[in-house]
Amino acid sequence: MESSQDFTSFLIGRPVIVKLNSGIDYRGILACLDGYMNIALEQTEEYVNGQLMNKYGDTFIRGNN
Amino acid sequence: MDDHAPLEGSGIEEPLDLVRLSLDERIYVKLRGDRELRGKLHAYDGHLNMVLGDVEETITVVDVNEETSEEVIRIVKRNCEMLFVRGDGVILSQESEWKNAPRQRINHSCIKNI
Repeated sequence: MESSQDFTSFLIGRPVIVKLNSGIDYRGILACLDGYMNIALEQTEEYVNGQLMNKYGDTFIRGNN
Repeated sequence: MDDHAPLEGSGIEEPLDLVRLSLDERIYVKLRGDRELRGKLHAYDGHLNMVLGDVEETITVVDVNEETSEEVIRIVKRNCEMLFVRGDGVILSQESEWKNAPRQRINHSCIKNI
């Protein structure tokens, strides 16, 4: 039986979609995450309804969102 | 776009390391309440409280006309020499390019356009 930690380790290095409570999506490659669900993403793109902003490089997303 | 070395293998173990790498660099911070900051990161902590220098705050305001239901988007900008940001308002942060030429020194007060 997989734990949620196994799942998140499985995701590292893969393209993911991070959906925030506000409804905004961030798509990018998962670099790492921690117990607070703070996230480090590479090549991030921000989607609000349609594509809004193109974020480049590396972004840090605070877990409470 | 610029080349970016992959994060894995560059000593990043946790997401906060990414913020640590940005110390003394200009960063872009997205805050709750449709606000954005661009400034130089002088300090931070585990709550994402930050001290930013030479910072420009951009506030996006949507005014809705009651009669016509027309939405008007207004952008308000403020500048500060030194700003403390409380961490619970932070959504995301990333390293930023130099958007403008180096800022000239201004008075020791925040300029408010509101």
